[in-house]
Amino acid sequence: MIDRITRRALLGGALAAGCAGLLPAEVAAAPLAKVRQTGVLRVAVYGDNRPWSWDDHGAVRGIDADLGRALAAKLGVRADVVAFMPGDDLAADFRNTVWRGGLLGFQVCDVMLHVPFDHDLMLKNDQVAIIAPYYREGFAMVCGNEQSDCEVLPPQLHGRRLAAETASVSDAYLVGGFGGLLRSNVHHYQGGYEAAQAVADGNADAALATRAQVEAVLHDYPGKTLHRRKGPIPAMASPGWDIAMAVKDNSRTLGDALETIVAEMIASGQMAALFATHGVEWHAAIAG
Amino acid sequence: MKSRLKRGLGSLAMTVAIAFAAPVMAADGPTSQDILNDAQSTGDVLSYGLGPWAQRFSPMTQVNSDNVAGLVPVFASSLGGEKQRGQESQPLVYDGTIYVTGSYSRVFAFDSHTGEKKWEYDARLPDGIMPCCDVVNRGAAIHGDKIIFATLDAHLIALNRLTGKVIWNKTIADYQAGYSATAAPLIVNDKVIYGNSGGEFGIVGRVEARDVNTGELIWSRPTVEGNIGMLNGKPNGMTGTLNASWPGDMWKTGGGATWLGGTYDPGTNLIYIGTGNPGPWNSNMRPGDNLYTASTLAIDPDTGVIKWHYQTTPHDGWDFDGVNEFIPFDATIGGKPMKLGAKADRNGYFFVLDRTNGKFISANKFVMETTWANGYNPKTGRPNFIDEDRPGAPNGAEKGKTVFASPSFLGGKNWMPMAYSQATGLFYIPSNDWGMDIWNEPIAYKKGAAYLGAEFTIKPIAPDHIGVLRAMDPTTGKIVWEYKNKAPLWGGVLTTAGNLVFTGTPEGYLKAFDAKTGKELWKFQTGSGVVGSPITWEQDGEQYIAVMSGWGGAVPLWGGEVAKTFKDISQGGSLWVFKLPKH
Repeated sequence: MIDRITRRALLGGALAAGCAGLLPAEVAAAPLAKVRQTGVLRVAVYGDNRPWSWDDHGAVRGIDADLGRALAAKLGVRADVVAFMPGDDLAADFRNTVWRGGLLGFQVCDVMLHVPFDHDLMLKNDQVAIIAPYYREGFAMVCGNEQSDCEVLPPQLHGRRLAAETASVSDAYLVGGFGGLLRSNVHHYQGGYEAAQAVADGNADAALATRAQVEAVLHDYPGKTLHRRKGPIPAMASPGWDIAMAVKDNSRTLGDALETIVAEMIASGQMAALFATHGVEWHAAIAG
Repeated sequence: MKSRLKRGLGSLAMTVAIAFAAPVMAADGPTSQDILNDAQSTGDVLSYGLGPWAQRFSPMTQVNSDNVAGLVPVFASSLGGEKQRGQESQPLVYDGTIYVTGSYSRVFAFDSHTGEKKWEYDARLPDGIMPCCDVVNRGAAIHGDKIIFATLDAHLIALNRLTGKVIWNKTIADYQAGYSATAAPLIVNDKVIYGNSGGEFGIVGRVEARDVNTGELIWSRPTVEGNIGMLNGKPNGMTGTLNASWPGDMWKTGGGATWLGGTYDPGTNLIYIGTGNPGPWNSNMRPGDNLYTASTLAIDPDTGVIKWHYQTTPHDGWDFDGVNEFIPFDATIGGKPMKLGAKADRNGYFFVLDRTNGKFISANKFVMETTWANGYNPKTGRPNFIDEDRPGAPNGAEKGKTVFASPSFLGGKNWMPMAYSQATGLFYIPSNDWGMDIWNEPIAYKKGAAYLGAEFTIKPIAPDHIGVLRAMDPTTGKIVWEYKNKAPLWGGVLTTAGNLVFTGTPEGYLKAFDAKTGKELWKFQTGSGVVGSPITWEQDGEQYIAVMSGWGGAVPLWGGEVAKTFKDISQGGSLWVFKLPKH
């Protein structure tokens, strides 16, 4: 809560500075008006980030893609949902999609989805405002094949085929935890969805991934005998995080409108329904 | 066999051409043999590094330490357009034409007498690619009727050198998986040999060879143990030994990108190529040496088989890429004439190895300080690690121990190539004195989610400079002279038998130094930062010198204290050509 107040205060200050001189007043003051005038909301989502956003034969699908379309519909404009390639860190993503654009012609977007709602991230990236947290992410384990009991203590998974996304927190947990006991059992995948999918496909016995990734796989493979761990994952370094959106720092009017829409979608149950179509249970952001 | 036949026909055609009219000979273009002879042929520049050894040494003496003060510009040719940013290219010169690559994967042909543009090729790049470290290109290769270069979206393209029209265009890696390419290709025996670059998302380095005439793949060699190489479409053996130095299946995403290309020694018939850092960054995740990351590899250019390796930073934890160029040279050590090679590494040490077998000869510090190791053990060739300087593993939700490490991850020396003078027996190293605070984060956000991360803050370590051009005696490991520069040095070096060393500065100067003493003898302001590599050649009986000007590259991406030395430098994009005035 404190984060958000601070954030908004900073936002107001930057806006005042913008109006005073550097930027054309109409651009700085009325990004919402600009969206309404052009009739398009340009939404940046990650490419290859199932179940949130992925390219399905030219169409961008996923929870974030649907959310982008819903936001545009509520604003009464057309959605232009653009999948982009991630940079080495979030600062690169903000630079490429929100406030500068790509060096090779990628046009900036009005809003970027799937942004961690994180205090340090806000402080380090003052060109953007991180707003409207819409989900609480966490971790989940799914088991199958040789490992039907998913409630065991993790060291008991020794010798099983374990799956995780390369360099993710789940990977660090399995590879680095328990004195490295499980290190040589871990098979690496390019995404957490793909890691969980490996269990469904019979290529792994247990996967650790995010909650949304695991739930989406359970939903997408209804015929498979898969077990989701019910108990907590002991000694996990991350308690989870909130997922939000980013707009350019001078886009307060648009940011306010999006926050209002997200609040309405949550209150009406539309947000939970949107998640449910992808098999993912919606969880309210803690900061929200 | 097929290519041999073609070469036979080529030389026959050449004989005929010589018999009738000399200029027609040029239409055939340079052969692989001509490229091997590039270090001796002063009338052209046919390869990245001025010869297969890439010593960047010219035997020319017309411009020398007595008269270089009179050097004047002949012309400057702009790359034009709105596309500026870093110009890290080294020009090539052949048949009255200067070929140079520009930022944004462009190639230009300029008339070497007038500077007029003959043609320009702009690669059509997907607008969705987001290069990590500026939009640079480091140079092209020339062979026969072709100019060959690599693009930011990981294509290799051969252009007709007279028209700039595409002859072949091959995808060498998937840019959507994070691959890119910026280095100049190497031509060996009618093959074009190149590496790859990529971000930090689980790529594996590769070296590959294609038929220069068709662009078809001949061999592919992954740089990380456990991965399988290919030759003529068939498996050609595993790199290293599975799980010898990597746990589990981490070798599948182990890094080791070969983003700077290689050098070639005809005597041993080996190509030498450096490999990048291992992934993930947090070294505590991947116990073991992590072969062959942060290494120099010697590879058979005919088959892609690794003949030897030397790892400059075993089990890297500081992002000390090992990509730097390995430059063959001959010298007498301990009374014994030896076939050697040298590499100035990101990690701050200057290595001399036996280039026939990779045996360690010496490693000497070439920067102000190396906090992570206290020299190398001459018996094992391994660093004497300072364990307290390895960034610690995160403890639960707490970040790992922060350490101050020097050099910084941008390196004692980064991409910019050094030079070796056969006249002075010295290497001239474009180096930087800087350090970093580095720590491992339990949680860092990437791709919108929680990942492992390492964080860095780069800092100057001297009050008066970051950049230093250093002359290193490879037989003693002693620094003979040094020239300090306020901003980081980021351009290549050229040395000549005229007792000269040339290099550029971010402040915009091309400078000439006395090769023996380091005294600055000449400088010229090019209007933007110089981060390219200078060349020299002879034309109409006169010695010419050329360099690209255009500030950019990876340095401007970093802020803080270091940025104070370059934040006011303007961008540009020009080829500058110099010579002595005619008397």
